[in-house]
Amino acid sequence: MINTRKLLDLAMRLGASDAEVYAMAGKIVTVETEHGELGHAEESISIGAGIRVIVDGAEGYSSSNDPTKYEDTVRAAIACARARPRDPALKGLAHPWDKYPEVRGTFDQRVQEIGLDQSVDIADRMIKAAKEEEGVSVTAAKFSSIMTDAVIANTNGINVEDRETVIIGYVDVIIKEKDDVSTAFEYDISRSIELDLESVGHRASKLARNSIGSQPIKEQSCDVLLGPHAFGDLLEATLLSSISAENVQKGRSGLMGKIGQPIATKGLTIIDDGLLEGGLGSSPADDEGVASQQTTIVKDGKLESFLYDLYTAGKEGRKSTGNGIRGSYSTPPKVGPRNIRFEFPRSDVLKETDQGIYVNSIIGAHTANPLSGDFSVECRNAFIVEGGTLAQPIRSLMISGNIFDLLRKIDGMGSDDRPVGTIISPTVRVKNIKATPGA
Amino acid sequence: MTDFYDVREIRGYTTAIAYDNGEIDEVSTHFLSGAAVRAIIGGSYGFTTVDDPANVKDAISAAITLAKRLDGISPRKKIELKAIPEGKNEVYMIKKNPADISLMHKQEMLKAVEDEMRSRDRRGLLKSTRINYSESYGHNIHYTSDGQRIEYDLYRTGFSCSAVAGEGSSLQAGRRSFFNVGGFEVFDQCDPLALAREAVDEAYELLSAKSAPSGRFDVICDPELAGVFIHEAVGHASEADTVLDGDSCLEGHTGEQIGSELVTVRDDPTLLKYGYYPYDSEGVPSHPTTLIEKGIMKSYLNSRETAAKLGGKPGNARAGGLARPVVRMSNTFIDNGMLSKDEVFEGVNGIYLKGSRGGQVNTGEGVFQFNAVMGYLVKDGQIGEHIRDVSLSGNTLKTLKSIARVGNDLDFHSGRCGKAGQGVPVGDGSPHILIKDAVVGGSS
Repeated sequence: MINTRKLLDLAMRLGASDAEVYAMAGKIVTVETEHGELGHAEESISIGAGIRVIVDGAEGYSSSNDPTKYEDTVRAAIACARARPRDPALKGLAHPWDKYPEVRGTFDQRVQEIGLDQSVDIADRMIKAAKEEEGVSVTAAKFSSIMTDAVIANTNGINVEDRETVIIGYVDVIIKEKDDVSTAFEYDISRSIELDLESVGHRASKLARNSIGSQPIKEQSCDVLLGPHAFGDLLEATLLSSISAENVQKGRSGLMGKIGQPIATKGLTIIDDGLLEGGLGSSPADDEGVASQQTTIVKDGKLESFLYDLYTAGKEGRKSTGNGIRGSYSTPPKVGPRNIRFEFPRSDVLKETDQGIYVNSIIGAHTANPLSGDFSVECRNAFIVEGGTLAQPIRSLMISGNIFDLLRKIDGMGSDDRPVGTIISPTVRVKNIKATPGA
Repeated sequence: MTDFYDVREIRGYTTAIAYDNGEIDEVSTHFLSGAAVRAIIGGSYGFTTVDDPANVKDAISAAITLAKRLDGISPRKKIELKAIPEGKNEVYMIKKNPADISLMHKQEMLKAVEDEMRSRDRRGLLKSTRINYSESYGHNIHYTSDGQRIEYDLYRTGFSCSAVAGEGSSLQAGRRSFFNVGGFEVFDQCDPLALAREAVDEAYELLSAKSAPSGRFDVICDPELAGVFIHEAVGHASEADTVLDGDSCLEGHTGEQIGSELVTVRDDPTLLKYGYYPYDSEGVPSHPTTLIEKGIMKSYLNSRETAAKLGGKPGNARAGGLARPVVRMSNTFIDNGMLSKDEVFEGVNGIYLKGSRGGQVNTGEGVFQFNAVMGYLVKDGQIGEHIRDVSLSGNTLKTLKSIARVGNDLDFHSGRCGKAGQGVPVGDGSPHILIKDAVVGGSS
C-alpha cells in the first residue's frame, strides 16, 4: 500500500514532533436495480491517506487520494498545524500496545472472493423472494460487498493493520391496490457471507402486505413497541451525541454533569463494545491505534462513563476508551461509538403486550433535537397491538417525546437484536408515549 | 457501433477551519482526485471509479466489461439516452479566490464571528460556540465516447455558526449559516456578524420556548421551512428515476391540478444559489424546470435516460463526488405569490414555524415529515408565545391543496440533500406560506 515510513520521516524533517499516517484501501462491488430489475453493476476502488502532525504543540491534518500528492499532503498538514497556537490539552499520539485484543468475525475471505456473478445471484434471489407476495413491486434493491484494509502508523512506533469485510442487502417494495398504497423496506448487514437475503425479501413484502388497509387512530398516550429500526434510529440521532466526551466537554450534551445519576430505567445496562464478535464497529484498535475495549456507559440505569478518544481523555487526564473513530481517511479521528448493546431482561415483548402500538420504523429521526432529546417523528408500518399480536395497520401516525424520558420508561426488551447503525437494537416496549394521528 | 461510455474526472481540494469555544479546533486541507466511468451495454450500466485519473483507460475497460457481463446474466430492455442539447452554458467566475486569502485572515474573520456571539451573550447563558468555515474547489471534466466534452471550475464557500445556551437543566442550540457557489465574495453576500447574533438570540429564545401542542392547526411556514417542505414533499417525488421505479405518488398526475392555484414550484440550477451548476453530471447544460404551475403538475426532473423514456429535458443528473449520477434537485422553490408577509399572517389563528432541522419523505406513499427549529403560537395574525421542537407531517397531494396563502418574499437557504447515500449541495426556497389544517406533532 502506501509507504507510511517515508511520509512519517518527511513530517519529522519538516518540523513535526509527532506524526501519524492513516491509510485506507477499499473496494466495493455493488449490483443494484434500475426500475425494478438488476441493471447497474459497480466496482469502486479507492486508496487514500490522512496525515496528522503535531508541530510546536498544535495539531494539523490533511488528506489525499492522489498518489502524486502524498508529500504535498504532509506539507499541508504542517502548514495547518503552524496556523494554530499551541494546545495545552494535546497530549500526543497513541503509544504502542504490548498486545492488541483479538477480535473475531470481522473478516471473511469468502466476501473478498464474491464476484459479479455471485452478487447478481444473491441479489436476484432476494428480489425474487420479495416478489413472491402477490401485488408486490420492488422499487429498489441493492447488494454490496465491501473490503477494507486500514493501516495506522505513527512516530511512537504504532503500526497496526486491520482487514475487514461487510456485505449488505437492501430491498424497498411497494403494493398499490385500488386507492391503497403501502411500502416497506428491509435490509441485513453482516461481516460474513452467512446472510439470509431471501428472508430479507420475504420480510419486506410481508410487511408491506400487512400494512395494506390501514386506518387512522385517535390521539392517545399508550404503550409503544419500538421495533429495532425505530429504536435504533431514535437513539442514533439523540443518545449517541450525548455520550461523546467531546460534546460533554464543549457544553453540548444533555448528560453533562450526570455521571453517577440515574438516567435510565433500573436494570438497564448500556455497553459500548469494541470487541463484539462480528460487530460492525469491532476491531483490535480504534482509528488512532488505541486498543479496543468494552466500556459500560450506563450500569443498572445509572450513567457510568462517556466515550473518549485520546484528545478528550488527555483533557481530563484519563485513558482513552478506544473511541477515536474516522468516517474515512479524509477526517481526523473524533469520538464515536463502536457497537452499542443493551443488557436487560429479554422476553417476548409483543406477546406480553395486551394493548398498544407497534412501530416498525420512523421517518425523520435525524430531525430530533440532540441537545434536549426531544423528538417528534412520523411512523412507518405501524400496527395496533391487541392481545399480544399485530392487528390493524395504522395510517399515518406521529409519536413524540423525549429520548431521556423514554430511557426511563422502557419496561420490556425483545431478543431480536440486530445492528441498526452502530446500535445493536432490539424491540423495546416503552410506557406511555404520545401518539398523534397523521395526515 | 462502439460501446457507449462517459467519464467524469475531478481534481480539487477542500479546506476546513473549525473554531470551537473560542479556540481553533481543526485546520485541514484535503486533496481529492479521481475518475468515474459509466458504460452502457444493452440494458445494463457498468460503473467504476479510480482515484488516479491517469488510470482512466483501465477504468473504462473495466466498466465496459462489467456492463457486458451484467447484460449477459441479467438482460433488460435497451437503455436509450436522450441527446445532449447543443450549446454551452456560461460558467460563474469567482471574484475572490479563497486560495489567495491567508489562513490567518480566514481565522480572524471566524474570530470576529466568535467575538460577536460572546458579546451578544447578555445574560451569560452561552455554554458553547462553534464556527465552521469551508472552501472547496473542483476542476471538472466530462466527456463521452461519442466525442462531447466540457470542462469547468466550481468553487463553493461558506460558514456556519452555532451557539448553545443553557439555563437550569435545559440546553438549546441556535444555528445560522451561509454557503454559496463562489469564492471569498460569498462573505460580501451575507452579514456574518448579524448571523452570529441571530444564532445566539435563537438559542436564548428556545430556552424560554414551551413544548409544542399536537394536533391539526393552520400553519404559517417561513421561507426556510417552506423551502424544505417543497424539497421533501414535491421535489423528491418529481424525480423521474423515482417515478420509473414506481415509487412516486406523483406518477400519472402530469397535466392534473394537484395543488392550490397559488402554488408554482420550480427547480433552477442556473440561479446563483447553493444548488447552482452549469452542467449536470452527464455533461448536459443546466436549465430551469417548472414542476408545478398554478397547481398543475407540469414536468418531472430528468436524466438522459428518464428523458428518453418519459419525455422532457435532461439536465438534472447529479453525483456526489465520484458516485453514480442520479436524478436530483438543484435550487427548488415555491415561486412568489401576491401577498406581503403581513397579509399572509392576517387574521390567522394557528402556529408560525421557522427554521429547519431537516425532513424526510416516503415518495411512494407521499408521506413526509419535517421539523422546525422554532415556532410561535399565532392569534388573530399576531405572533405570541414561543414553542419548540415542532414537527409537521403530511401527505403530499393533500397538503398541496391546503396551501391557502403565498407571500411575495421568496428567499433561499442552503442545504445538503442525501438521496442515494450521496450528499449534494442544494438550495431550497419559498416565500412565507399558509397551510390550512396541517398535522403538527409536539411533545406537550
